[in-house]
Amino acid sequence: MMDILIPLIDASSYVLILVLIALGLMIIFGMMGVINMAHGELFMIGAYVMVLTQSAGLPFIVGLILAPLLVGLLGLIIETLLIRHIYLRPLDTILATWGLSIALKQGIVLIFGPEAQSVTSPIDATLIIGDFSYPMYRLIVMGISASLIAGTFWLFLKTDFGLMARAVIARPDTSAALGINTRRLYRWSFVIGTALAGLAGALIAPTISVDPQMGLGYLIPGFLSILVGGAGPLAGVLVGGGAVGGTSSLLTVWISPVAAQIAVFVLAILVIRLRPNGILGGKIEK
Amino acid sequence: MEFWEAKLKNKLPVIITFGSLALIPLFVGDYWISQLNYYLVYGLFALSLSLVWGYGGILCLGQAIFFGIGAYVMAVTTKGMISPILMNSYIGLALAILCSAAFAALLGSFLFAGKGINGAYLAIVTLAIAIVLERLMSNWYLLGGYNGLLDVPPLNLGAFGYDIELWDSLPAFYTLWVIVFSVAIGLTYLVRSDYGILLTSIKTNPDRLAYFGFSILKLKLSVFCLSAAIAGLAGALFVTIDGFASPTLIGFTLSTEVLIWVAIGGKEVLLAAFLGAIATRIAESWLSEIFGDYWILILGITFMVSVVLLPKGLIATPLSHIGKRLSIKID
Repeated sequence: MMDILIPLIDASSYVLILVLIALGLMIIFGMMGVINMAHGELFMIGAYVMVLTQSAGLPFIVGLILAPLLVGLLGLIIETLLIRHIYLRPLDTILATWGLSIALKQGIVLIFGPEAQSVTSPIDATLIIGDFSYPMYRLIVMGISASLIAGTFWLFLKTDFGLMARAVIARPDTSAALGINTRRLYRWSFVIGTALAGLAGALIAPTISVDPQMGLGYLIPGFLSILVGGAGPLAGVLVGGGAVGGTSSLLTVWISPVAAQIAVFVLAILVIRLRPNGILGGKIEK
Repeated sequence: MEFWEAKLKNKLPVIITFGSLALIPLFVGDYWISQLNYYLVYGLFALSLSLVWGYGGILCLGQAIFFGIGAYVMAVTTKGMISPILMNSYIGLALAILCSAAFAALLGSFLFAGKGINGAYLAIVTLAIAIVLERLMSNWYLLGGYNGLLDVPPLNLGAFGYDIELWDSLPAFYTLWVIVFSVAIGLTYLVRSDYGILLTSIKTNPDRLAYFGFSILKLKLSVFCLSAAIAGLAGALFVTIDGFASPTLIGFTLSTEVLIWVAIGGKEVLLAAFLGAIATRIAESWLSEIFGDYWILILGITFMVSVVLLPKGLIATPLSHIGKRLSIKID
């Protein structure tokens, strides 16, 4: 029983973080058609904000608040200086944000050095129920991620902002004609997406090694989650993140992490090829 | 005169570029000649990406896949790891080109057939494949694993028992020059031919192309395979001058670098992509000494700015202006 329970919890914890990252990517991609290759680096910067707050001796919660704020602000700057000039050239956004990711990564190397930083967990306690034991902090991270995901869904499915956002995704021109300021909506969606990435980075900083290369390891699985789940409905991220994250995490129980990752990438590419609209995606309207 | 107008005039930029490249070894020392060898190979690699991306409209973020396959096949063949009978540079090059093209054919028919994957999806998928292959090669201990394959012999132009091994950088330079120049001039012919017009229409109006009875799948596959073959050739030549095949040749970093060279140079002009690779490498060897670690930051920002402000490329834009003045269409 324990043999399978621990891997299952590990898998769900990875899935939740992956969904959180993919959700940010998805908001930006689904809404504006912008492929943000720098998303992994924004996630990384969130983790480094945590490193900074800890070395300044500030409490953990301050880092959790600062990370999304600072990364969101960075997102606002990026949107203003870079993204808004290339909305109409979606493929060029890949290149421009890729250049941005290189610059951000190197910026972090210049400030903090290439070596890994460690963030100490704010809660050392371990949850013990009978034979079962699991680090408390990881469970809390899972709880926070799950509520953040739920919150994002609520924002996009239940509020006026969400309604407008979905209108812009479905019919950008009509929405603009009806008086929705699409540019402003794009901007705030971008900021929300980046802030989510920053928060995700800050949240899991204590559980992983924080180094300048960490972004890529989450960016590609994040994108594969979106493509596997389907870029149309928001719920696609849940399915895709569950499929990609769950498979790779559970496979490591039986095979080496490298083999597991290769297997997941290959499976994901197969799914993307065979169901281009994703597992949930219906037919694309012409 | 007519021959001049029709055939030669448009090739002039390429001929002048390569002509001046051929003269450089007269003025510089051994170190720079060996650097030039790398530049030629990288330039060839950039040509392959320019062809598939700028002309074929297929954004392949994992172009190093084919470079790496070529590199490993060449290394394995010329080190005699398959069979001592095959230890020959010509066989190595042929196998490297064939294997890269064959892998591209398999991958392409899987990705493009039917509704296929396009645009951004294709970019992400090819990048994921490059990362998978890099992981695979790092853990394939038969092929050196993470450390790669060392002591790959240089090009050997001899055959039938006679050895003409190009250990020195000068003969290697002129051999590489001949190969890269032939590919470059061949490609400029190709993109101005009927085939080149078909490629342009894949990018601009694929539906109309299908309506006229052309198979888009076959066209895409052919340009994908041709580009992979050239990238494979570049990879194979690379290991002969570097003597070393490692997992980095197949993966993420090199894919990024070639993309930057081609984007900065100009993807829609073969010559600009070629020069973009050389210019970036030269800039790197100079500026990384002056700026140290800041160089990569500068490169990233330059890349970003050139994509936003000069999407046609930093070299292609002035090049086409000059071309227009002289009424030459530069490819």
